Amino acid sequence: MARAAPQSSTYDAIVIGAGHNGLTCATWLAKAGRRVLVVESRDRVGGMAASEEFHPGYRSVGLLHDTTGVRLEVVRALELARHGLKVRSCRPSILVLGDGSGGGPRLLLSGVPAQAAREISRLSSLDGEAYLKYRAFLDRIGPVLRGFLDEPPVNLIDIESAGIWNLMKRALRVRRLGAKEMMELMRLPPMSVADWLGEWFETDLLKAALALDAVAGTWMGPRSPTSNMLLLMHEAAAGPGIEGGGPALAAALEKAARAAGVEILTEARVERILVDGAASPVKGVALSGGAVVSATVVAASCDPKQVLLKLLAPGTIPYRLEHRMEGFRARGTTAQVLLAVKGPVRFAGATDDQVEFARTGGSLVEIERAFDAVKYRRASQTPILDIHVPTVSRPELAPTGGSVVSILVHFAPYDLEGGWDDLQRRALGDRVVAILETQAPGVTAGIVRGEVLSPADIETRYGVTGGQIHHGEHALDQILIRPAPECVGYRTPVPGLYLCGGGSHPGGGLTCQPGTLAARAILKS
Amino acid sequence: MSQAARPARSSYDAVVVGGGHNGLVCAAYLAKAGRKVLVLERRHVLGGAAVSEELHPGFTFSVCSYVVSLMRPHIIRELDLPRHGMELIPLEASFLPLPDGRSLCRWADKERTRREIETFSKKDAEVYPEFGLAMTRLARFAKHVIDQPAPDPASLDPRELARLLRLGRALQGFDAEARYLNFQLMTMSAVDFLDRWFESPVLKSPMSVSGIIGTFLGVRSPGTAYVLLHHYMGEIDGAFRAWGFSKGGTGGVSRAIASAARGFGAEILTSTPVSRVLLEGGRAAGVVLENGDEIRSKVVVSGLDPHRTFLKLVGERNLDPEFVVQIRRYKMRGSSGKVNIALDRLPEFKCRPGDGLHLQGDIAICPSIDYLERAHDDAKYGDFSRRPYINAVIPSISDPSVAPPGKHILSCFVQYAPYQIKEGPSHWPQRREAFGEAVIDTLEEYIPNLRSLILFKQVLTPWDLEQEFGLTEGNIFHGELSLEQLLFLRPAAGWARYRTPVRRLWLAASGAHPGGGIMGSPGELAAKTMLTEGEI
Repeated sequence: MARAAPQSSTYDAIVIGAGHNGLTCATWLAKAGRRVLVVESRDRVGGMAASEEFHPGYRSVGLLHDTTGVRLEVVRALELARHGLKVRSCRPSILVLGDGSGGGPRLLLSGVPAQAAREISRLSSLDGEAYLKYRAFLDRIGPVLRGFLDEPPVNLIDIESAGIWNLMKRALRVRRLGAKEMMELMRLPPMSVADWLGEWFETDLLKAALALDAVAGTWMGPRSPTSNMLLLMHEAAAGPGIEGGGPALAAALEKAARAAGVEILTEARVERILVDGAASPVKGVALSGGAVVSATVVAASCDPKQVLLKLLAPGTIPYRLEHRMEGFRARGTTAQVLLAVKGPVRFAGATDDQVEFARTGGSLVEIERAFDAVKYRRASQTPILDIHVPTVSRPELAPTGGSVVSILVHFAPYDLEGGWDDLQRRALGDRVVAILETQAPGVTAGIVRGEVLSPADIETRYGVTGGQIHHGEHALDQILIRPAPECVGYRTPVPGLYLCGGGSHPGGGLTCQPGTLAARAILKS
Repeated sequence: MSQAARPARSSYDAVVVGGGHNGLVCAAYLAKAGRKVLVLERRHVLGGAAVSEELHPGFTFSVCSYVVSLMRPHIIRELDLPRHGMELIPLEASFLPLPDGRSLCRWADKERTRREIETFSKKDAEVYPEFGLAMTRLARFAKHVIDQPAPDPASLDPRELARLLRLGRALQGFDAEARYLNFQLMTMSAVDFLDRWFESPVLKSPMSVSGIIGTFLGVRSPGTAYVLLHHYMGEIDGAFRAWGFSKGGTGGVSRAIASAARGFGAEILTSTPVSRVLLEGGRAAGVVLENGDEIRSKVVVSGLDPHRTFLKLVGERNLDPEFVVQIRRYKMRGSSGKVNIALDRLPEFKCRPGDGLHLQGDIAICPSIDYLERAHDDAKYGDFSRRPYINAVIPSISDPSVAPPGKHILSCFVQYAPYQIKEGPSHWPQRREAFGEAVIDTLEEYIPNLRSLILFKQVLTPWDLEQEFGLTEGNIFHGELSLEQLLFLRPAAGWARYRTPVRRLWLAASGAHPGGGIMGSPGELAAKTMLTEGEI
């Protein structure tokens, strides 16, 4: 894509970042008749969902594997199907591989609960039955939780500002569950995911498989209190996901945006968000290279630390907020290993080479130990691998017959003792490949190239502070008030400047939800 | 003290099972209201975990609980405890020795504290008093919460809604900044919370540790920050400072409450174990003693923990299975032990020699946050910490009555010592010696000649706390103080108001709101609820 200049010097709104939330926000604004420019510092759209060619002919599906959080309401409202998006028929199945030794039981956790329950019953008949009850419970509370996630956040510091009717509505929704389940709903979020899953199940493998979604990307282990809230959030929001993963979502959003009249400028890095001084409204942005583009609305989809501490001139926001944002925790704990493999990938015990999603972690203890390492600024020696082989459903991502293996590695700290260098990267990559080899014997011989992205590399490539894939840690305090009381509801103290990325409610991951709710807030004012 | 005596009557208004401090407080309030009350204690001595015993000739130990922190001032007043012999001696300092020869002592004297902190961080020295002020303000709100029964959000009773509104208004009385601080306190880990205020790890480490005492959580576990408030509760009450020794050991507090209760006419028997609650038509009608005697009463009050109360005294088969599930999943998880030592003379810390005032308060062995996390990691995987967090006090300095002249008592609270060790809890007796040695080894890094001073040593593991003091799984707070086990969820949803599913059976101990510590509140609130609701 060639470097271009914006067609105009003035827009109604400028969206910083062409990640999925930036594109979502821009499309909503354009559909409402606003003239919108999206500026993206990279040479492609999609942000973390963009495909990367990491070896000639081998392309990734971006950084994030999980598309089950993408809101179908948004897909429908933005008519993404018309722009080529296909929603999966059900949640993807995950092959649960167990501990790094390669021995031990495995479990195919189907996206269809009844099938999953049958498989689980082979390990424990009690757990098979419990799994169906567990799913039924989640289905019951799901709509209530989704209500909280999919509506604009209530400012908990000043709840009266939400309006009494709004509050009553929410309270009633919870109350309608009945006194018993309402109390249960209050008991669950502060718990650790280990404790809650322990109340349901006895099988280590199953508990580990379910717990990983709660702690992936966070600075928590399964024994950390409040990690259960993240599991509930993940499960409540989980839909079937997108065929083709992140890049397919990004492509459809890009088309939808352009069709709505959004102008997208790539390789355009924002140097500064322009404001005349404290308490003045936003004026536009200055691009690296000197170009200035004006707008009365700027919506930033990059992480809030970057927006408020780097893109604004010092002194623009109150010192207190600056201090808060410095304290906003954004410590990345996830690394990515990309492998280009000649031939198919066959996991031991699998009946074919059609496994698209797999994960290691034989027990909660194993995940907890992998997390322990980051507390001491070390990368885990026995990391947990979240494995995705996108070429199973999209063979075109690799040369004929080849495979792409994308692995999210938990846990590896951004602030590694001694820092990330080639030696450290290689050591991590070697460990990951060694674990993979035990699970998919023979895979190593077919590897043509491997790429390791440490959290520090993720920061550099995607411009996300701390390499934090959620734009700020998911933790009870940072989810309920995200990112700071002054910025709840996507606004900032700078009139006209909005946040529309994962650093705002309801958080990171591929959801399209912050972008949607931010657009709603912008259009309201 | 009445030894294995028999009760004076055959029936009472209330029988209180367990002569711990909460059971005694409850009995005192009921007796004060004119009810006929009998307290039954299994051990030969009153006080439960708030007990003083002469374990070695001339040395009186606060065997379990070793400092008084949260005893509610209005209870002290209403029961007139000072007249019954309760005397609190404030802790003068909080001392942190470091293995590298440095040390930090925080004093009652603010200026002196500032100078000490300044050697580690000038910025922190300035922020420290500000932090104290902010926390003291929030403690005022916490007082609303702990001095009355837990709110019940599930209730549709207008009186309940009014209570919730009152709480809400108390919170709204704060400015936005204080409300945000309160929010952070309720949701963050102790370390994350302190990180927003302070930079020096030397200061943060001993401050953060108050968030985990008695819990199976680490200082980086979310939900531990709120406990930091405990340190600031005492100041607003004005009666005494947050932490203090009880003269004659913590048993002194229990003795004073017992004396008050007797003064109001309560009858108290020791060495009288209860075997079960007597049930008639699904109601509690009294208790059956281990010797088979029945004592009848209008109500039975349990001063034991929820597991013991329901699963042992009542019995599973007499309870709704769903309630049994609730109680079983209520986490006990003891995580600490106690090492009581008699010393030939005052020990000397190599980082701050001499027998100064710095030893008159509490002494914290927690040189860094990583150290505390490693200690927690050991416990997570089923072992006691090789290098544990130790909170030690030498009460004999400020209260010479507890040791012979020139001799001293070193009382060490030790964490983590998980009840569930990987060999299984019943193997604790075989690990006891090693656990005690780990504690002495740790202390010797700071007091090199400690071993040569030891005249006597008692090591209490969580197993021992369970066997000897009846604390299930050795949990000193009658159940983990994690967020999901507080307020209207303690000990179970729908049963947080001291009533139980067994009619006429009440729970009046730390397993009920507002939880553990020598606070007296569960006993007081249970008694007041019984009386106002006309139960007795």
